Amino acid sequence: MKLLYSLFSRRAFLNSLIGGWLAALGAAFISPLLKYIVPPTREPDQVSVPLAEVQDLAAGSVQGFAWGNKPGLLKKAEDGSFIAFVGVCTHLDCNVSFVAEKRRFYCACHEGWYDENGINVAGPPPAPLRRLAVSVEGDALIVKKQG
Amino acid sequence: MNVLRAWIEERLGLRAVAAFLEKKEVPRHKHTIFYYTGSSILLFLGIQIVTGVLLAFYYQPTLAEANASVARIVTEMPLGWLLRSVHSWSATFMIAIVFVHLLGIAFTKAYRKPREATWITGVLLLAASLAFGFTGYLLPWDELSLAATKVGTNLPKAIPVVGAWLTGVMRAGEDVTGDTLSRFFIFHVSVLPLAVIALLGVHLFLVQRHGMSVPLEEERKGAKGPVIPFWPNFAYREAGVWLILLGLLVTIAVFAAPGLGPQADLMAPAPEGIKPEWYFLFLFQTLKLFPARILGLNGEIVAVLIMMAGMGLFAFLPFIDNRPAERKGKVIAGLVWAGLAYAMGMSIWSLL
Repeated sequence: MKLLYSLFSRRAFLNSLIGGWLAALGAAFISPLLKYIVPPTREPDQVSVPLAEVQDLAAGSVQGFAWGNKPGLLKKAEDGSFIAFVGVCTHLDCNVSFVAEKRRFYCACHEGWYDENGINVAGPPPAPLRRLAVSVEGDALIVKKQG
Repeated sequence: MNVLRAWIEERLGLRAVAAFLEKKEVPRHKHTIFYYTGSSILLFLGIQIVTGVLLAFYYQPTLAEANASVARIVTEMPLGWLLRSVHSWSATFMIAIVFVHLLGIAFTKAYRKPREATWITGVLLLAASLAFGFTGYLLPWDELSLAATKVGTNLPKAIPVVGAWLTGVMRAGEDVTGDTLSRFFIFHVSVLPLAVIALLGVHLFLVQRHGMSVPLEEERKGAKGPVIPFWPNFAYREAGVWLILLGLLVTIAVFAAPGLGPQADLMAPAPEGIKPEWYFLFLFQTLKLFPARILGLNGEIVAVLIMMAGMGLFAFLPFIDNRPAERKGKVIAGLVWAGLAYAMGMSIWSLL
């Protein structure tokens, strides 16, 4: 059957077919490149800190450790137990420091403050410091992702 | 000599270019000074390319060597301190004149029809210039540059849907590491230069194609105003401006060479008094002032979305300001002034 009228010509139909095919081909080439450019980041499942390194820590003071590529902060509570944080500001990712005389964590980038339990109390930080789970196993402290 | 000239002419046909230059005219009015900004940007771009290539002879973009190799360039290489200083100051000069160029165009409304495409390539060139500044800032790999890069690369995270991926692309993963440094280096010396050459080609072609824009108020006077022939009158004046700028640049570079902080430590707390380059100060101050939560939303996300909306409006200004001579056009001119006042006010505040 021969159509008297058509909404588009044979040429327009073939052009869109070839165009669509080229776009699909392009996407097929680009998608592996997009995958390549962001490498996987391995956050450690757990980090062990020898007890000997932190046993002499005074109550209320803080010591750093490496949580993968990020600084971790280990704080000794008054009752002798340990709590751990990822020492990275929740505002814009700067590394925080512990200001012992104020008993607060401080981010120098945009003047953010967290109390000694890592709760955001002043400045721009939108959330508390990320907590990590700490347990004692043998002669080491094991720091793990929480939850 | 004439034989040689004829030989070249037969093969390249440069007569057409020369004829074009002979006919090219530069309008003369009270805003003529803005016509000098374009070529001044090219001057500093040229200086950046030459000094950049020379710095890259000795610079090593690795975690262990980056900071030390910059120290070596400025302490051991003959005149290395001057090259680095000129590169750093020329970047500042270039960005400053890019802003003057931009403001001149915004206030004389040179972007109006048919120059919308010239404006858009210009906005893309501005983005590339700022990206040059941002990537170059990390390369000395000292405490300040690390902290500034962490903040800057964290900002896209607030963008819905693609934000986290974009941050991953910029940082090469979730955190700023040695891979980030390699990535910033290759963007600084390869990706951005290629992009700038392509965009600049289109931009300059369009400027020649449309000729120099005349401000609205001059255009309204009707009859064609006075002009300066481009060759040689205007070109010589530009050469004079170049000489003055070059003298200023080298003088400042000699007396105020940039310092180099201690090598960046990924585990150390951010140093006090981090500041981005001066052209990002108003964004920096805005981020500092935004509260953690606004109407139940994350303050950072709100700030980044407002900034992005502002940039988007700015990029499409010629299409928004489509009746430049009417009331709408005047309101838009007022808003541009307000934006400028905001950026300057915030920058000064952040320095206090």
